[in-house]
Amino acid sequence: MKRFGRGIATIMFGFGYGEGFPDYSVASIEFAEDNKILVRTAAADVGQGVLTVVVQIAAEVLKVSPEVIRIIPGDTHLTKNAGSSSATRQTFFTGNAVKNAAQALLSNIYHYASIEFRSNYAELSVKGGYVFRVDQPNNKISFWELAQKVKEKGEILRAEASFFPRTNKPNPETGRGEKVYVAYTFVTQIAEVEVDTITGNVQVLKIYTAADIGKAINPQNVEGQIEGGAMQGIGMALMEEQVLKDGVTLNANLTDYLIPTAMDMPQFETCLIEKEDSDGPFGAKGIGEPGTIATAPAIANAIFDAIGIRFYDLPITPDKILKALKEQKDKKL
Amino acid sequence: MSTHKLTIEFIINGQKRKIETTPFTRLLDLIRDDLHLTGTKEGCGKGECGACTIIMNHQLVASCLVLAPQADGAEIITIEGLGEKGKLDPIQEAFIETGAVQCGFCTPGMVLAAKKLLEENPHPNIEEIKRGISGNLCRCTGYKKIIEAINLAAKRLTQQLEEEKGKEKNV
Repeated sequence: MKRFGRGIATIMFGFGYGEGFPDYSVASIEFAEDNKILVRTAAADVGQGVLTVVVQIAAEVLKVSPEVIRIIPGDTHLTKNAGSSSATRQTFFTGNAVKNAAQALLSNIYHYASIEFRSNYAELSVKGGYVFRVDQPNNKISFWELAQKVKEKGEILRAEASFFPRTNKPNPETGRGEKVYVAYTFVTQIAEVEVDTITGNVQVLKIYTAADIGKAINPQNVEGQIEGGAMQGIGMALMEEQVLKDGVTLNANLTDYLIPTAMDMPQFETCLIEKEDSDGPFGAKGIGEPGTIATAPAIANAIFDAIGIRFYDLPITPDKILKALKEQKDKKL
Repeated sequence: MSTHKLTIEFIINGQKRKIETTPFTRLLDLIRDDLHLTGTKEGCGKGECGACTIIMNHQLVASCLVLAPQADGAEIITIEGLGEKGKLDPIQEAFIETGAVQCGFCTPGMVLAAKKLLEENPHPNIEEIKRGISGNLCRCTGYKKIIEAINLAAKRLTQQLEEEKGKEKNV
């Protein structure tokens, strides 16, 4: 018999290293000769999309098309520290560092352009790679021409900036503190499952996610992170189990350690809540890890709803379910 | 034994190749190390993950489980064989558009699995797409956007085919 169940779980996640640990990112922006804008950042893109995000941020601040921007990625000779791609921190930290660098570059553009145009800063604007006087939009100079003029003066039109927020250690006695982490992401997930009481198999039918991510700089990437995270959560809840014996992993391969395939995929429905209430770039918050945390408890709650049994250790495998169902039946008898 | 060499011939991505190899070289290593076609990835090396997927003699195979001499006389397509110079295959385009690529490690195998699926079944439903890529593991995406990509590519390829047919009729 197949029994349907629905469960819910809510999590909060403080991201970045936090707790007073020195955590920062440095980025710089300059002009290349081939009419490109170079963003230097050591932020490692491991598929989460941080480099896409920083291109979008730099393009937004400098009012250019994203195609104009090129990234010089992590290289100890060419870039400065951006911190690790971990702790759900890169969009927040490197996003801010790039935003700060782009703003610093923009102010330098205005500074040098005001000398060229013999005008006041307030009379200038930028668009599509040109700086111009607002009252004479046709009187314009491209960023690269301006960079050349600055170079002729023996100076360089570029900017470097960092983002280095302060966090605090929590009080060791109370565990409380002011701004222990830079910000918190909140996620609620609802899981709908079907438990087969004959085989003990659990099929996850649907995962609803509501994520307070401040601002989705790239909504497609944010959804990808949430769906991928939820899928890992499904693996954690139902199938992924590291078997250790005397400190040795007995199933260190994909034959015995099962991870979800496309056949295990539920329907996803995701709602992004954009309150823009953090110090992140444009109010954005991290979504890397938060996407995976609520899934397993939501599934465990859904299984409880379906068969009335609580499981306190993961993964909830078919053999555990069958054993528990038998115990439940024996108890009733 | 270890010095035993043999020469095999095959067609890879439309090109005829003759290459010296050994009886115990995996086809995956021949493709990556000898032909420098590094789009094919090694994941588990045990035929479980699908990262090393290639199309050999119209079959989807895990190249880590094939010995190089078995490819003698074969026709092989790797990810490098898709699309034309400067123009991506419609499946690749759909993957980019829908955000189906995150770290990208599973992508070459996924795209080839999709190609094979759409050749056999040009109008797959979602269940059929899931089954078609069930031999390819992805840890990043949650599969949803990959399935959307294949669905989109299927629609585009059908449309393309109909347009071509329409042109023929007009002529």
